[in-house]
Amino acid sequence: MSNQYVEMGLRAPVNVTWEVTYACNLSCLHCLSDSGRREKEELTTDQCRSVIDSMAANRVFQFSIGGGEPFMREDFLDLMDYAHEKGILTCISTNGTLIDDKVAERLDHKLVYIQVSLDGATPDSNDSIRGTGSFSRAIKAVECLRKRDIAVSINTVLTRISLPQLDALSDLAQSFGAKFRVSRFRPSGRGKANWSRLNVSPSQMVAFSDWLSAHQDVSTGDSFFSVSHEDRRHLGLNMCGACKLTCCISPTGHLYPCAFLQEDEFLAGRLPQETFSLIWNRSRVFQAFRKLEIKSCESCQRFDFCHGGCPAVAYHTQKRLGHPDPGCLANCVSEKTVAASIV
Amino acid sequence: MGSNTAYRMWDGVQVREEQFGLLFYDYRGPKLVFLPSRDLISESFFFGEHTAEELIESLCARFGERSRDEIRRHVQRILDMLLSRGLIYEQPIC
Repeated sequence: MSNQYVEMGLRAPVNVTWEVTYACNLSCLHCLSDSGRREKEELTTDQCRSVIDSMAANRVFQFSIGGGEPFMREDFLDLMDYAHEKGILTCISTNGTLIDDKVAERLDHKLVYIQVSLDGATPDSNDSIRGTGSFSRAIKAVECLRKRDIAVSINTVLTRISLPQLDALSDLAQSFGAKFRVSRFRPSGRGKANWSRLNVSPSQMVAFSDWLSAHQDVSTGDSFFSVSHEDRRHLGLNMCGACKLTCCISPTGHLYPCAFLQEDEFLAGRLPQETFSLIWNRSRVFQAFRKLEIKSCESCQRFDFCHGGCPAVAYHTQKRLGHPDPGCLANCVSEKTVAASIV
Repeated sequence: MGSNTAYRMWDGVQVREEQFGLLFYDYRGPKLVFLPSRDLISESFFFGEHTAEELIESLCARFGERSRDEIRRHVQRILDMLLSRGLIYEQPIC
């Protein structure tokens, strides 16, 4: 990725993460937004259409849609149709439980990409994180979507539970003609309470990094640039894209640098009351975030690979920005070495 | 780069103007391509309505006839790169 051009500042994000609701029919242990119940202040249908108009006017290329479970919104498919009319690609993250043949038919559009979440390749492993019955319902959704040849990936959050399942999950995705994608677990939302229980150890992260190198077809949505080896460098970003290439809209229209930093101190503005381009270009939060430098990482030999890693993980684990990502490869290798020497 | 050849983006490709030039987004990847062309080429050039020759003429009018060869080489390089990356295709204007 050409950082020099990104650093010059883009007129708008390339991709906007939009969490369309807090409502969810599951209660996953690692949920980044602690979703469950719909909030009263969530954007109305008209307000959502206004958000889509604003993104189209700013020439945003893609929405990464999440929640909550997006399909819990009754107007969700209509909103996606509206985004497609405006030429915006929608990458929808879903637990799959509400997708049947009829819904799949509505989703059959060239601007739709679906990510169905699974955290294990068996009901036991998956349902221990995502809840009883969620595995079979997700598989049914993948079947409905793939029957229509809709682009699908199976998305897994890397945890101690899912790590041993990665090969089987990759095979499972392949059996459906779907892609396999792994996302990083961050200590936000319900993930905070389950962080120490579910987050992989440094040695497991090092092993995962090697696994990724051996599986170049596995995508990571730029979740793991801080642990990727040289051989995956061409596959995506080598820095955090928040406020440079992307930002996040919450279900209530609040704008944040990313989905994992939805804290009051990172609130940049609110849609549709405020103008998106003004927030993107002038908000203090976004401007400060763009200038964020992880000074202590600059002497690291891997600095060009990650530029300090994920600020959200650093913030949630150390309560301030500007610290190194504790889960970066350099840290994990050194902690693994220390652990091995103690043993 | 024929005299009556125009250029269009493939289905699934979009472009927008940025400070550095043009930013292409290919949904089929998805992937981003940064083209540091400054303000030499506008995004509308890829709507297939103008030929490369017309583009070269307009650039020569802007930068002077003496730069014609350099402008031609530069435009050719850009179009070759976009063609080779599968972002655009040639379309004859009849």
